[in-house]
Amino acid sequence: MAVHALLIDTVRCTGCRGCQVACKQWNKRAAEKTEFFGGPGYQNPADLSKDTWCLVTYNEVQIGDRFEWVFGKKQCMHCQIPGCASACPVGALEKLDSGPVIYHKDKCIGCRYCMLACPFVVPRFEYDSWNPYITKCTMCYDRLQMGEIPACAKACPTGSVTFGERDALIREAKERIASNPSEYHHHIYGLEEAGGTCVLHISNVPFEELGYITDVPKQPLAARTELAMKSIPAVMVGLAVVLGASYRLRTRAQLRGEDAERPSPTT
Amino acid sequence: MVAERKGAFGIGGAILFVLAGLGIALALYRFATGLGSVTNLNQGYPWGLWIGFDILAGIALAAGGFVVGGLMHMFGGEKYEPLVRPTILTALLGYLLFIVALLVDLGRPWTIWHMIIMWHHESPMFEVGWCVMLYTTILLVEFLPVVFERFHMTRLHKLWKYSAPWIAIALLTLFAVALTQSVAWVIVIAAVLILFQLSVEVGAIYRDPKIPTLLLMAAIIFSTLHQSSLGTLFLMVPHKLHVIWYSPLLPVFFLVSAVATGLAMTIFESILSARFFGRKVETDLLRGVGRFLSWAIICYLGLRGVDLIVRGVGSELLVRTPQCAAFWVEIVVGSLIPLAILLTPELVKSATWLFSASVMVVVGLIVNRLNVAWVGISSRYEVAYYPHWMEIAITVGLVSAGVLVFVLVCRYFPIFSEERSPTGAR
Repeated sequence: MAVHALLIDTVRCTGCRGCQVACKQWNKRAAEKTEFFGGPGYQNPADLSKDTWCLVTYNEVQIGDRFEWVFGKKQCMHCQIPGCASACPVGALEKLDSGPVIYHKDKCIGCRYCMLACPFVVPRFEYDSWNPYITKCTMCYDRLQMGEIPACAKACPTGSVTFGERDALIREAKERIASNPSEYHHHIYGLEEAGGTCVLHISNVPFEELGYITDVPKQPLAARTELAMKSIPAVMVGLAVVLGASYRLRTRAQLRGEDAERPSPTT
Repeated sequence: MVAERKGAFGIGGAILFVLAGLGIALALYRFATGLGSVTNLNQGYPWGLWIGFDILAGIALAAGGFVVGGLMHMFGGEKYEPLVRPTILTALLGYLLFIVALLVDLGRPWTIWHMIIMWHHESPMFEVGWCVMLYTTILLVEFLPVVFERFHMTRLHKLWKYSAPWIAIALLTLFAVALTQSVAWVIVIAAVLILFQLSVEVGAIYRDPKIPTLLLMAAIIFSTLHQSSLGTLFLMVPHKLHVIWYSPLLPVFFLVSAVATGLAMTIFESILSARFFGRKVETDLLRGVGRFLSWAIICYLGLRGVDLIVRGVGSELLVRTPQCAAFWVEIVVGSLIPLAILLTPELVKSATWLFSASVMVVVGLIVNRLNVAWVGISSRYEVAYYPHWMEIAITVGLVSAGVLVFVLVCRYFPIFSEERSPTGAR
């Protein structure tokens, strides 16, 4: 099955926030009361939230002797092997073969382990509700099912957000970097991060300048817990055998004593 | 001054009642308004004091139930029998308290049963949830004889003796089904357990007259698994947990430190309740427990030392950061000083020193768990997390309620050895 993905090219982004608005409209997220200059520079709102699943970040970056705006895009990275989905005890977060990581709200118990596990600090929790859910970007899974592309990609007027097959987008990203090597920073963010993600970023500046978390492990997070989880049955059998055998050996004397007291009817 | 009956609530009891009442009131307020109104948890720091203290530390503090009631018994420590009931009671109350604390922390606590039917065996949280659920059941089964004795239910007690091992087998097998989802493993596990019990039934293995051996085995197996899995939870966050604590051996550290703390809690609680109820301190027994405790601390220190050296973290331990300081508090207070006390023959003779050593081990464990869940966690999120006073008040309230219930149960049920009639069914 084709794995869907998004390619974000910050070089082409003009910071119009069309994607941000389209995301809010399609997913029916409420408007937020924000403050101008509440975040870095003209960025608004300051952070992802339960109502903002897609956020254009504004970063003033020194390039040569000038300062320039470089725009980043914050949203769920849709990891190939997502930490959030591995962490969830009830399977409320699910990775689809077609790419998106989706959320089954009726399963969620609200333990927030997904938030801890996410290396990109993306899932948002409704702390102000008595009946809270986790919220995050779904790659417009409902639109994909209807044969539409995600709202952010649809809205983008400059081709900064491209929707397509992951392999094809990786080729495209490599080509853009190769054809303009002095313009682009030579790294595809999301190619290897957390074992690979379905949202890929390329930029003209190093990603730490955009506030991206750059020391994300290269393997999937589930690789770290796999050994501990897989050894459970072996531990069970091992303990049962060792405890049983040691008990048997230790109580040999009592067993003989018991037999002597009341001999079994067969002898 | 009015002559006070031993074991009666004095001014201390009144304070505990007030604290428990306040905690419960705040918890109700939290259920009405959401987690945000009583906690400082935020989008970058979803876990805080409650996970670190109530859950990680709380479960380790209740480990005495399997260490004393299980390991010592399995390996021939019959003389520790008088300590078994109090530790099982602490463990049972500890786990029930932990479940209440978890309900307060969960966003949608009324859906906690989802874990029973919505299986996701890849998740360490799923395993912890299942283990705690089944182990609490085992603890309840272990505690039942106390109730039977209190109300002279001899027939039920007899029925319990014969059915308890099969309950243990059923729970262990169910757990294997949920966690492995592999027919082969389930058959192997069930076969080993059933073979053992059948050997007991036909007389090839000695039948323990007091408590079915399989019940203790189940307690040990479940405890080993979830005490370590609480550490596995944090293996998921190599990018967030400080290098001092993030080790592939974290589950092993959690297990070994829980064993040590289980022993320390046994000493702590025996001495405290002896004073409170005006009984004699079982000094000889407790010195024996102290010997086990010193071995557990030596194992723990050895493992952590080797781990830090092999991972090359040595230089991180001598810098002036809060994390580094917190690490040294954990090691010096929780391991080095108590070990020195326990290894000094003049000191272990005194109940006071034994008591101090065990308190330090407990404090060290709490600091360790808070370090893993809070001090050592860095999410690269703009807003830092510090517990809100209401988070602290709810935790204090829950602990106070636990202490009150413990005292009440001890007063009305035959928990301590000399209160049990020698002729009573056991």
